[in-house]
This record gives sequence, structure tokens and C-alpha cells, in this order.
Amino acid sequence: MERLLQYVFDGLSFGAIYALLALGLVVVFRGTGHLNFAQGEMAMFCTFIVWQINDWGVPLILAVAIGMLFGFALGAGAEATVIRSVAKKSPGGVFVVSIALFLGLNSLATMIWDRAEGYTMKSLFPNKDVDFVRILGAEWRYKYIGVLIVALALMGLLFLLFSKTKFGLAMRSVASNPESARLVGVPSGLVLASSWGIAAAMGALSGALVGGINGQLTPSLMFAVFIYASAAATLGGLDSPGGAVIAGLSIGIGEQLVAGYAPGWIGQDLKLSVALILIFVVLLVKPSGLFGSLKVERV
Amino acid sequence: MSLLQTTGLRASYGQVDVLLGIDIEVNQGEMVVILGANGAGKTTTMRAVSGTIPRSGSIVFDGHEIVTQNAESIVRLGIAHVPQGRGTFSDLTVEENLRIGAYIRKDSVESDIERWFETFPRLGERKSQKAGSLSGGEQQMLAIARALMSRPRLLLCDEPSLGLAPLVTQELFGVLKSLNQQEGLSVLLVEQNANLALKIANKVYLLETGQVVASGDAESIAGDERIRRAYLGG
Ligand SMILES: Nc1ncnc2c1ncn2[C@@H]1O[C@H](COP(=O)(O)OP(=O)(O)OP(=O)(O)O)[C@@H](O)[C@H]1O
Ligand SMILES: [Mg+2]
Repeated sequence: MERLLQYVFDGLSFGAIYALLALGLVVVFRGTGHLNFAQGEMAMFCTFIVWQINDWGVPLILAVAIGMLFGFALGAGAEATVIRSVAKKSPGGVFVVSIALFLGLNSLATMIWDRAEGYTMKSLFPNKDVDFVRILGAEWRYKYIGVLIVALALMGLLFLLFSKTKFGLAMRSVASNPESARLVGVPSGLVLASSWGIAAAMGALSGALVGGINGQLTPSLMFAVFIYASAAATLGGLDSPGGAVIAGLSIGIGEQLVAGYAPGWIGQDLKLSVALILIFVVLLVKPSGLFGSLKVERV
Repeated sequence: MSLLQTTGLRASYGQVDVLLGIDIEVNQGEMVVILGANGAGKTTTMRAVSGTIPRSGSIVFDGHEIVTQNAESIVRLGIAHVPQGRGTFSDLTVEENLRIGAYIRKDSVESDIERWFETFPRLGERKSQKAGSLSGGEQQMLAIARALMSRPRLLLCDEPSLGLAPLVTQELFGVLKSLNQQEGLSVLLVEQNANLALKIANKVYLLETGQVVASGDAESIAGDERIRRAYLGG
């Protein structure tokens, strides 16, 4: 029982991080119909920015905020320059560009922050050995609770933005019918650039949270996280923010359970494959994902 | 007073020239109808005016040359376009469709929403329903109401009767007519059904392969022998 609860606690926090990154994928996909394969690497790069600024003496929380702003600029800038012009000429080209962005950011980070053993990343939350509460015998570490709260809060804000604000409505209108959105005066370029920006800013936060949990920062920071996040986005249905969150949390818990209970040979190394197999199975059985929308359209 | 005046309006899709120099005028408070066969260039004319396709020549709206402006700025000047095939936002609710229709406005839009729900009660009953699940007639009403949410001075309406039952078409034209006569809304309407068009129009333009081949007030067009034969079936 304690063990089970422990896995659930840890899983929830990791899951919240996957959900954040998955939400970024969903925001971009809904806006433009593209999968941004560079989402994880953009997050990694922003996390290095956070580390760098923090290393220069700026308090971590402020550094994270600046990192998120940097992420917004990076995402919005990428969309407004390369992505948009490529998408006009060939939709398939966006795939290539996002792969190029992936590789480019990875090499750039490796070049700038070249210490082979990586860098020490501080956590936003109390992180000493004694910093935990005990609930029914399981330890819930403060840093995991903090991650969960911050991630859920940001998701809450995002949902409010989407459902309650004029800008959110404009974003959904562009996703639904770009031509009509232009006809009612929505500046679709601005909206699309902002979706990429918001996605990248959420990525920056998820990167900083992962870095804080790991305590260590290398250019491969987001590899596994991105794969879990992609699994979450696919599982939830690529156009469903709620689905991405539920799927992200489930995958986080599932990952801990697999690592904890499965026979040793599955253990740490094969649990990534479990996530990938999950993507395949869902796509086979239900191509639109668990919560993806079947479009209702009558003409 | 002239509200909209196109002069030598040309447009093409890639290499294919579709509008070969169109001169159309809509005066303040007028209901002007564009008639023409399939492929004549009616939709292209509307798109050229609302700025959704590249075009050349001159389009003067309310004293402004708008041929170089894009769709986003043109709607701000007071032209709302109901595209052929309605172009509603199928993933948004009926009410959200109306709200986004008022995107360019900074003032409160609640009373306008109320108003269109009164004009089209069927929309009011379905305000939380996704627009994609409405019937064709309801979607057309929604498309028109959404366009009017921007409080335009000129409404471009592209074949609103397409695929609608005669009764629904009548209801819709009744609304357009009263907006035009009671509130002085200027309307540029594309319509294939000539009988219907002539009943409602002040002025008619007949388009053939990208050119205006006849124009005049509704009576003189109705009396024109060529038009009777080609469009009125007699
Ligand atoms: N997106 C497009 N790309 C290429 N050609 C087009 C496009 N849209 C229209 N055309 C061509 O331009 C010509 C005029 O089309 P348009 O849609 O303006 O006609 P229309 O008068 O509105 O016809 P309908 O009554 O069928 O709606 C047609 O020959 C059509 O094939
Ligand atoms: Mg047409």
C-alpha cells in the first residue's frame, strides 16, 4: 500500500511535467495542425538559459520567468519566420524544419554549455533530505508537491486563457477555420505565433521543473520527457488539452508503476519502450486518441 | 452617395485570369445583387472586395482605396463578408461564433447577441451547441448574424440561399430586406435565383466569365430579353 501510494505521488509530479509539455504540443497542433518535434529541445535550451541567468546571480524564480519569456520569443519567432513560410509552400516541410530545429538547438546547447558532466540545477522548492510529508506511510517530497502545484496552476491559467478570454476565442477560431477568422478580423499571424510562443514557454517551465528534480542539466535533459509527452498528447487526442493532461498524469503514474512492479528486465531502460508501444496501440485502435474530437460537420 | 466603387477590378488564381475588369457600384443604403452562371466570377468578386485574394484595379470604400489592404483591415473599415458555404466556426458554439464575429469591436457586445437571438430564435435555442451540428439553414443564419456582429456598413453575402428550403430562404431574405430598408444597411448579394434576386434588389449586375455584361435597376433587368431567356426561364 505504501509502495503503491509512493509510486502514485512520484508519478503525479512527473506526469504533470509530461502534461505541460504535451499541452504545448496540443496548443501548436490545434493552431496549425503541425507536430512540433523540437518542443522538447526548445524546452531544454530554455532551461539552459534559466541555469545561465541563475548562475549570473539572478534568483532562480526570476530566472525561470525570464526563461519562459525567452521561450515565448523563441517559439513565436520560429513560427513567424521559418515555420510559416515553409508551411505555405509544403506542409510536409514543417516536419523537416522542426527536426532541423531539434538538431540545431541540441548542437548549439552542446557547444555553449560544453561541460561533459553537465551542470548542477537548483530546484525551485525545498530539496533537502528532510523536506517531505509522510502520508499513509509514503513520503511526499516537497519538491514533487511543488512541481505538481506549479504545473497544475499553469494548466489552469491556460484553460482560463482558452475558454474565458477574447484572445483564447481568437486562437480557437483560427484553429477551427483560418479563412473565416481572417474575415472577422482576427490577426491570424499574431495568433499562430502566440500559440507557438505559449507552447514554448510552457516547455521552458517543464524543463526547469525536470532540471530541478534531476538536480542536473545536460543537453539530453528532455529526450525521455519529450517521448512521454508525445505519448500523452497522442493518447489524449492531439487536439484535446484536457485529454493531454489526463493522459500525461496517467503516463507519469504508469511509468512509476512499471518501473516499480515490473520484472527487473523491464525496469528503467525499457519503460520508454512501454510508452512508445502505448502510442502505437492507441493509434491503431483509436486514431483520434482517447479524447480527440470526431469532427461533427453537416453541410 | 457611393459607398463601394470598384473600377477595372481584376483577379486571378495563379495563371488563370478570372476577373477581367469589373466595375460595380453600391450606393449608401442600396441592395445590389450580382447574378451570373456558375463560374462567372461572383465569389471571386466578393473575395476581391473583402481582401481574401490578391487583386488589382481600384476598390474605393467610403472614400478609402482598399485594393491594397488585407482582409483584417477591411473588416475594420466596415465590410463584413458572409462567404459562400457559410464559413461558420464548426468547433465553436453558436454564441462563440457571434462573439468572434465582434472581434474588431472594443465595446460591449451583449446587446447585439441578444438582438440576433431575437431575430433568429432558433439560434438562441441552440446557443451552447457547436455550430457544426446546426442544420444548413441555421448555419446560414448564424453566418449572417456573425457578420452583422461587427456592425458593418456593407454586408457581402454570397449565395445565402444555396441548399436551403424555399421557406427558410424566404425568412432569410425577409431579414436582409428589413435590415436594408429599416436600418439602411447596404448589401451586396450574390444570388443564382434571378426571380428572387429581382424581387429584393435595387440594382442588378449580370456577370459572365469575369465581366459585367448587363446592369441596371431591377425593372429594366427584368425586362431585358437576353436575361429573361437565360436566367428567368422565359
Ligand atoms: N481557389 C481557386 N483556384 C483556382 N481557380 C479557382 C478558385 N476559385 C475559383 N476558381 C475559378 O475561378 C472561376 C470563377 O469562380 P467563382 O467561384 O468566382 O465563380 P462563381 O460565379 O462564384 O460560381 P458559383 O456560382 O459556382 O459559386 C471558376 O472558373 C473557378 O473554377
Ligand atoms: Mg460562387
